[in-house]
Amino acid sequence: MASPERDPVTGYKTTGHEWDGIKELTTPIPHWWVSVFLATVGIAIVYLYLMPSFAGVKGFLPGALEWSSSKQLAEDQAVAAAAQAGWRKRILETPLAEIEADPDLRRFAVTGGRALFNENCAPCHGVGAGGQQGQFPALIDDDWLWGGKIEDIHQTISHGIRNEDDDSRQSTMPSFADILAPEQIDQVADYVRALSDPSQEATRTAMPGAKVFTDNCASCHGDHGQGGREFGAPTLNDAIWLYGGSKQAIISQVTHPRMGVMPTFAARLDEATIRMLATYVHTLGGGER
Amino acid sequence: MVALSARDKAARRRPVPLPVKGRYRRIKTVVAGLLLGLFFLVPWIRWDRGGDMPGQAVMFDVPGRRFFFFGLEFWPQDLPLVLGLMVLGALGLFLATTISGRVWCGFTCPQTVWTDLFFTGDRLADRIAGKGTPAAKALRQVFWIGLSLLTGFGFAAWFTDVTTLPGRLLGGGLSSGLFGTVAVLTATTWALAGYARERVCLHMCPWPRFQSALLDADTLVVTYDSGRGEPRGKKRLPLRADLGGPGGDTARGDCVDCNKCFAVCPTGVDIRDGLQMGCIGCGLCIDACDDVMGKLGRPGRLIDFASEAGVVPKPRRLLPRPKILIFGAAMMVTIALLGYGLLAVQKVTVDLQPQRNPPFVRLSDGSVRNDYLLRVDHRLPALAAVAVSVAGLPGATVRFGESEGPTLALGEDRSGSDRLMITLPRNALDTAGLDADGHKPIILVLTNAATGRVIERENSYFWGPP
Repeated sequence: MASPERDPVTGYKTTGHEWDGIKELTTPIPHWWVSVFLATVGIAIVYLYLMPSFAGVKGFLPGALEWSSSKQLAEDQAVAAAAQAGWRKRILETPLAEIEADPDLRRFAVTGGRALFNENCAPCHGVGAGGQQGQFPALIDDDWLWGGKIEDIHQTISHGIRNEDDDSRQSTMPSFADILAPEQIDQVADYVRALSDPSQEATRTAMPGAKVFTDNCASCHGDHGQGGREFGAPTLNDAIWLYGGSKQAIISQVTHPRMGVMPTFAARLDEATIRMLATYVHTLGGGER
Repeated sequence: MVALSARDKAARRRPVPLPVKGRYRRIKTVVAGLLLGLFFLVPWIRWDRGGDMPGQAVMFDVPGRRFFFFGLEFWPQDLPLVLGLMVLGALGLFLATTISGRVWCGFTCPQTVWTDLFFTGDRLADRIAGKGTPAAKALRQVFWIGLSLLTGFGFAAWFTDVTTLPGRLLGGGLSSGLFGTVAVLTATTWALAGYARERVCLHMCPWPRFQSALLDADTLVVTYDSGRGEPRGKKRLPLRADLGGPGGDTARGDCVDCNKCFAVCPTGVDIRDGLQMGCIGCGLCIDACDDVMGKLGRPGRLIDFASEAGVVPKPRRLLPRPKILIFGAAMMVTIALLGYGLLAVQKVTVDLQPQRNPPFVRLSDGSVRNDYLLRVDHRLPALAAVAVSVAGLPGATVRFGESEGPTLALGEDRSGSDRLMITLPRNALDTAGLDADGHKPIILVLTNAATGRVIERENSYFWGPP
C-alpha cells in the first residue's frame, strides 16, 4: 500500500489505497458541511439539557427550563383569561336582562356560553340542549318547569334543584299510591291526557277524573293544568311531557313520582360564567322576557 | 449551450459593467421604469369603498384575509383564480422564451430590474466620489441601503394603507408582521440586488437550467456571428478579403476583440463563446458592439437577436411552429377559464348548519321547530340586513334569535351569523307533506331586506316527527 500523496491533476490527496495502479482520491466533505453537522450535534446536546428528555425509573429528566405541556397549557389559559377579563367584567356589571341587548356582549356570552354549556351542562341536557326524554328537560323548547326568564334560569343554574343548597329549588310531589284508589288514578290519568287535547275541551269537565284532579292536583298544577312554577309543577295542558304522555306513563308518575335534581353550580363556577351560561340557555330559542 | 466558461468564473468578482447606449438599453430603461413605477405607485391609487373599508385600490389585506383589486374583492376561496394566473404566467413565460429566448430574464425579472438599478447607483457613486476610493464604497452602501429600504417600504405598501405607512413605520404602531415585511424585504434586496446580483442568475435561479428545453433552432437569441467576426484580431490587422478588406495571412474578421460586449454584460458572459447559461438575453452587448462597428465604419449587428436558422441560412419560421401554437392555445384556454372564474365569483356565501341534536323540538302548543345556524358572508357594496323566508313548507314561520324576526342585521359588517328557527304549527304538520321519516326538503330564500332582491337560495331539510 502506497503512502498518501498529492494528486498533481486535482490537487487533492489520495487515500493511499491503490488497486492495479488506480489510486483513490480523497475528496473530503466540505468544511461548512462538517461545521453545520457538528453544530446540530451541539444544539442537540443543549436541547437535551434544557428540555425534558430522558426517561428515568421514576419520572423523567425535567430539563433545566422545566418546560412541560401542562405548564404551557396553564400559561395559555391564563393569557386567554386575561384577554377575556374585560368582557367578563362587563358581563358582571351589566344587569342580567340587558346583556342580550348589547350585540357585542351578547356575542361574547353566547359564544363562550356554548363552550361552557358543553363542558358543564351537556352531559345531562345534551350538546344541543335537547334534553333527554324521561330524564332531563329540553332547554330549547318554550316550556319551563322553574321559569324561563333569564333571572329564573340564572337562579336555577346557580343553586340547582332539590339539593343541599338552601337556595335550591325545592318541592316534592307526593306519591298518590296511598292517597288515591287505583281506579281514581286511572280516571285522573284520562283527564290529564284530555287537558292537552283541544277536541275534548267541552267534554272533559264531565269526566270522572275532573273532580279527582281538582281535589288532589290543582293546588300545584293549576285548575286547568297550566302548571305552577313556584313548585316546579309541570304544565299538563301542553304538548310537552318530560316523563311521557301516554296513559301508562301518567299513571306511573302519579303513583310513584319522579322528580329531577340538579347540582348547584355556584360552588363550581364563578358568577360571570353562570351569567354567560344563563344568557346562552336563554337565547336557545325558548327564553321568556 | 455550454456551462460557465473559465472566463466567466474569473469574472465573478469583476467591476460594475460599463454603461452603454443603444436600442436595447432604451427598451430596458423604459421597461424597468414602467415596472418600478407600477411597483411603487400602484398602492397610492385610491378607491372609495365606503364605510370603514380600505380606501386603497389594490391591497392584500392579510389580517382580513381578502384582496382588493379596484372594484373587485377576493377571498381565500378564490385561490383557484391565483392558480389560473400562475398557469397563465408560466405559459406566457414559455411562449416568450420559445419566440425570443430569455427576454423575461433580460428585461422584466425583478432581479434584473433591481440589479440594473443598483449598477446605476454604483456608477453614480463612483462618479461622485472617485472610483475605488473609500468614499465611493461608503456612498455605494448608502445607495444600497437607501434603495433597499425604499423597496421594503414599497413592498409593504401593498399590504396596508400606504398613506399612513411612513408615519407608522417611523412613529411605531406598526404590526410586527408589517415591520418584519419591511425588514425582510430590505435585507433581501440589500443581499440579492446589492451583494449577489448576477450570481442569483448564475447560481440560484432554476430558470436558466430548464430554458434549454424551450429553445429551438428558430428561437431568437443573442448570437455572435462568428462567420463574420472570426478570426478576431486587433484593429490594425487587415480585414478579410471576403469582407471587403485587403486580406492576407494575418487578416481578421469584423471582431476587433475590444471586449466591449463582455465589459457591458450584466452577468459577465462573453457572448462570443456562444449561447450559454449565463446569458440573460438583455441585448446590451448588441448595443455595445453596434457602437464599435459604427465607429469603425462597419455594418452593425455582428451580435444580434438571431436564430440558429438565421445565422446558418435556412428559411425562418417565426410563428407557425407547433410549440408556439400549443403554448398560445393553452394561454387562450387559461384566459377563458380565468375569465369564467372571475365572472363566477360568488358575491354571497351562505353557510347553513341544521342543528340536529335534537333533530327537532316540540313546543308547548304542539308545533315543531327546527333550528339552524345561518352564516352569511358577502362582498356586495351594501347589504345592511338579510331577510329570510322559507319555501316548500306552507304555514312555517321564520325567526332569528337576536332580531326575533325574519331578518339578520349585518349593518356595516361583511358577515353575520345567528340562530335561525323555523316553526311549523301543529295544524300545518299534517298538510306540510313530510315523508314517512318526517323529512321534507325546503329552500331558504335570502333577500336583501332593503331592496327585496333575492341574493341566494339555500337548500336544506325540515325534520318533524316520523
